[in-house]
Amino acid sequence: MLLGLRDLQVPLLAVLLLGGCATKGWRVVRTRSLASAMGPAGLFPWRLRRPIMIAMCVVEFGLGLALLATAGPALSGALATVIRASTALFFLIAVGILYEVRLHRPEAGCGCFGELSDTPVGVRAIARAGMLCIAVAGAIGAPPLRMPASSGQAAGLLGALAAELTLLAVVSPEIGSIMVRLGYSEPCELRRLPVLRTLASLRSSTQWRRYAGQLASFTPVDVWREGCWRFVVYPGLVAGRRVEVVYAVYLQARRPPIRVAVLEVASDGSLPPRPSSSSLESAAF
Amino acid sequence: MQSHGRQVRHSSEFTRWCDDVADSASPARFARRSRLKAAVFGQDGDGVTDAFSSALVYTVIGKVLDVSPHVLVLETDTGEQRFPLAATAKAWRGGPVTPAALRQGDHAIVRRNRPGSPTVERIWAEIGRVTGTVIERNGPATLLVDEGPAKGRRIVIISASAAGRIEVRFPRLEPGYLIDVIGLRHDGFLEALIPATAQPPYRAGRPPTPPLVNGHVPDPLSGTAVWHEPGEEPVGMLGLAYPALDPETSCERVAPALATCDGDLHAVDPHAAGPGCVRLPYLSVGSLLQLQNDCSTRSRQLPVTGCGATARLFCDRCVSCGTSQRGRIADLTMAAFVELGGNLDEGCFNATMTIGG
Repeated sequence: MLLGLRDLQVPLLAVLLLGGCATKGWRVVRTRSLASAMGPAGLFPWRLRRPIMIAMCVVEFGLGLALLATAGPALSGALATVIRASTALFFLIAVGILYEVRLHRPEAGCGCFGELSDTPVGVRAIARAGMLCIAVAGAIGAPPLRMPASSGQAAGLLGALAAELTLLAVVSPEIGSIMVRLGYSEPCELRRLPVLRTLASLRSSTQWRRYAGQLASFTPVDVWREGCWRFVVYPGLVAGRRVEVVYAVYLQARRPPIRVAVLEVASDGSLPPRPSSSSLESAAF
Repeated sequence: MQSHGRQVRHSSEFTRWCDDVADSASPARFARRSRLKAAVFGQDGDGVTDAFSSALVYTVIGKVLDVSPHVLVLETDTGEQRFPLAATAKAWRGGPVTPAALRQGDHAIVRRNRPGSPTVERIWAEIGRVTGTVIERNGPATLLVDEGPAKGRRIVIISASAAGRIEVRFPRLEPGYLIDVIGLRHDGFLEALIPATAQPPYRAGRPPTPPLVNGHVPDPLSGTAVWHEPGEEPVGMLGLAYPALDPETSCERVAPALATCDGDLHAVDPHAAGPGCVRLPYLSVGSLLQLQNDCSTRSRQLPVTGCGATARLFCDRCVSCGTSQRGRIADLTMAAFVELGGNLDEGCFNATMTIGG
């Protein structure tokens, strides 16, 4: 079983290397800037960063393709051993570089998988590089890939592969970012909602109709936002006294919850130091 | 090299309600918002005005009238104040100096060792900071830096003695790249002496996209707090410039539509650069935040007093006591930074921010 699992390391590492290269490339295309994908290249002097970053991508891509090409029987033998040893060396160097990044640029991410890897380099990222180094070193001398001899052996291999992937997921800080992207819905605190839409929701509400008779003007005197709530203030008159009617409208597109309060205003326009129960009316809906 | 006045454009639809951040020196208008919010949520509104009118407890700001190895005399808003200097008192004037090395007329910001104590712990004289995008470079050491539409432009001259130190952290002192330096204020320019961070590798207008947030934005939120020079604000104001003011009502100030000089081509409007490096909930001028310095564990309720959109462009982390969890979440006034136990010459501290206090 373990020997079978050893055979699977080669395609797995090839996919990881090609995936890393593709996500870096995607980031460069999206941001139209090579600098955004620098990652550990930030350790080097500026003039070397770009060539190092390009070289890293080329090596990743080349090793990924070469691992795939030498996985089967066609190109096995000494060439496969050299490629796998080079890949092990690549990951060993990665362990050292990530350790240096953690030491000297603790704020920088590893950039291993483009924008998914912006989390500062931690023990997990270093452990992953170490794990991959051991995995590919273990695959040196492994025979070419072949189909499992029986369905039982195939099931066993799949189980072992699933366990390895789970372990990789545990040491991969990128998994959190991927999970967030899969189920993403923008939180209300970050949602941009036009003021006119808030006002339209407010004016179609029962709370608006209930207090509309107290408003001296339908033009708000102040509008502001805090997180998920937008506040709208109208001047009002209650039994000859100046008041301010404050609506808090939750920032959601349909039927937003609305709260309202009525505050008495002093003759100089200021609010009383502590609104008394008679001067303050608050209602939630 | 010329300096240009800032350009202001208010959203025509909402001019009546917009938060003119230059008006934030008058706290009453914005303190009112917290009172109204407290009322609408049925909270006690007594405490909220305190954040706007609260006095400095640890910090004193003034002009040096006289200094000796044992006594510092400052001219402050409340008159002349004398501070006995302990042997452990540290001073900064372009670098660590003895307190006696301060000069008459220096603008100084002082931190006491205990609230209200006469004994001084730290003194910073003539300290300044420029944070923004390099838009012009004249020769090897003179830069014109755009600090964003809300703050305008500053001239930075890199001191010969600090050039190596700064160029190591800011290898690209070219138009279009970010800079953040601390140094000595002079008439019309800043003499850069200390790099406040490492230069982000990307061009100012292209910060990376921050990670998406699942569910709600965490509250409290941990990240980096930095400081800025007062500009048009009162020198002793306690508050912070917030990087994510509500774009609908915050009257974002934007660069002129047409470039009037070569430097304008490199000026970056941080509002147009996407969400920036940290996803923060939208707030408004007047919103209250509880900010804790994770390095000194001091905390204080502070109002949002201005637009800190330039902070969005920096995806750096503070490493003053461990690595901060996020990039810049608050750009404090000098007084607030010192009051919370931050050292101005270090440039940042790790902070935890709770919205609403």
